[in-house]
Amino acid sequence: MANAPRNSLLAPGVTRFSRSKVYSRRALWKRNKGTTAPAAPKAAATTKTVQVNGEKNGKERVVALNKAPRYYPAHDVSRPIRAHKTVRPTKLRASITPGTVLILLAGRFRGKRVVFLKQLSSGLLLVTGPYKVNGVPLRRVNQAYVIATSTRVELDCAKVDEKFNDDYFKREKAAKNKKATEEEFFGDKAKKPTLAEGRAADQKAVDAAILAAVNKVPMLHSYLGAKFSLSKGQAPHALKF
Amino acid sequence: MACLHEYQVIGRHLPTESDPSPKLYRMRLFAPNEVVAKSRFWYFLKRFNKVKKATGEIVAVNEIFEKLPGQIKTYGIWLRYDSRSGTHNMYKEYRELNRCAAVEAAYKDMAARHRARFRSIQVIRVAEVAAKDVRRPYIKQVLQSKLKFPLTHRVFRASSKRNNTLFLAKRPSTIN
Amino acid sequence: MASVDYGRTCSNFARMVEVGRVVVLSYGSDTGKLAVIVDIVDHNRVLVDGPTTGVVRQAIGLKRVTLTPLVLKKLPRAVRTSTLRKVIEAQNLSEQWAKTAWAKKIAARETRKSLSDFDRFKVMRLKKQVRNVINVEVAKLKKQK
Repeated sequence: MANAPRNSLLAPGVTRFSRSKVYSRRALWKRNKGTTAPAAPKAAATTKTVQVNGEKNGKERVVALNKAPRYYPAHDVSRPIRAHKTVRPTKLRASITPGTVLILLAGRFRGKRVVFLKQLSSGLLLVTGPYKVNGVPLRRVNQAYVIATSTRVELDCAKVDEKFNDDYFKREKAAKNKKATEEEFFGDKAKKPTLAEGRAADQKAVDAAILAAVNKVPMLHSYLGAKFSLSKGQAPHALKF
Repeated sequence: MACLHEYQVIGRHLPTESDPSPKLYRMRLFAPNEVVAKSRFWYFLKRFNKVKKATGEIVAVNEIFEKLPGQIKTYGIWLRYDSRSGTHNMYKEYRELNRCAAVEAAYKDMAARHRARFRSIQVIRVAEVAAKDVRRPYIKQVLQSKLKFPLTHRVFRASSKRNNTLFLAKRPSTIN
Repeated sequence: MASVDYGRTCSNFARMVEVGRVVVLSYGSDTGKLAVIVDIVDHNRVLVDGPTTGVVRQAIGLKRVTLTPLVLKKLPRAVRTSTLRKVIEAQNLSEQWAKTAWAKKIAARETRKSLSDFDRFKVMRLKKQVRNVINVEVAKLKKQK
């Protein structure tokens, strides 16, 4: 019992002996009270004495080493707080893996079921319809606007080309006209933005392997072609996807 | 009322010069906790013997547990209660799984029928009653060996309050 | 009070509260579990036990219980849990229960609940096919008339 505490608990939080009682029981008065704190280091000089010329000036004067600034702002200028944020790569939801069928929830293609290909460096998901099945092209989607289903398209053989990155989807900036001429403004030949060259071919190339995989599973083709919607009595939080 | 427990409380008078080893008193009490059990112990001891809390001490308090809590038994309860006009002795019978539940039922029963409070009831004795010794007809009725009865009026109840609906499209059926 | 044998007089009722009667608990955390009436406490409460379904032996109010058409045969009053388990297994209660329309309905509900989005789509498609076949036949019969 060498290390048993002298002061046991009567009840949780209530000790048997008071603090002063413990002091005398432990004979703390015998102990060294501890060395005194080391002397504070001498404060560095903040002033200096300067010789002053002239008879009536007292010959010497104490002057601050660092002069106080001459200008004080009348109002305190609020300084923005430093942000401690760091940009971390977006985490892909565990339920989303290459080949997962996703349900798009927002945008032009909401309700469509699409196939997930890979996550891009920006954190967006690269997704394709396939285009032939439901009209959804190669496209980037935020994973927040997506329901991941448990259905997967077997994409083991299909490798997504490295060229499909965020730059691939960048929009070309239209050269800003200073001012549209009247003719251009009212003219019926308003230019439709045309697809960048090679996009259609890329789409076909990517979709070919996926389509092959999709057609192996019965009904999967028409499943991807159908739009998702909730029917009566269905609550999305209670559904299994 | 809080859930009752059964306690065994043992106490005695403080040892004196004339009586260095005083007699021990043991009581079985029904109380919601040990504190109340001890209090009731002194309450009763004061009345029966010349020992009170100031001159006595409690030696032990233990909880008594039911030996067969999975078996239904018929309990007879002898009790004494102070009504508004006098004191009465009573005998009551309950079918329960344990003694505590039977006593609790007795307290509830007394509160319902006689508006009696915990403080005005003293449980004298609790004992299991064999089937042949049962006196109350409403208990005898349940003791038939081949008891069988239907549930005539079934009211549908939701499994939890969350599943409760105030309005139904169909009229509920009460036939099972 | 004269004792009345309800079992004989009220033949309109198919399900009785009796020892051996299988019940479904309908309240609390045990909701939906099967149990067996082992003993009768009084007119409002029974002692139930379900060693094979995870129901702890307890006295329960009859309001929290739904009677099933199943009864364990020759079950003595107030048997122990281990004996009850043997009787349940000997009489194949789970199999008997699974055969009832009630259990089938519950099972169907469960499978429907656990279907994925794709499965639901497939069901929808298959139902359409069934409908198609039936409707064609019905139309044929109508024409004959």
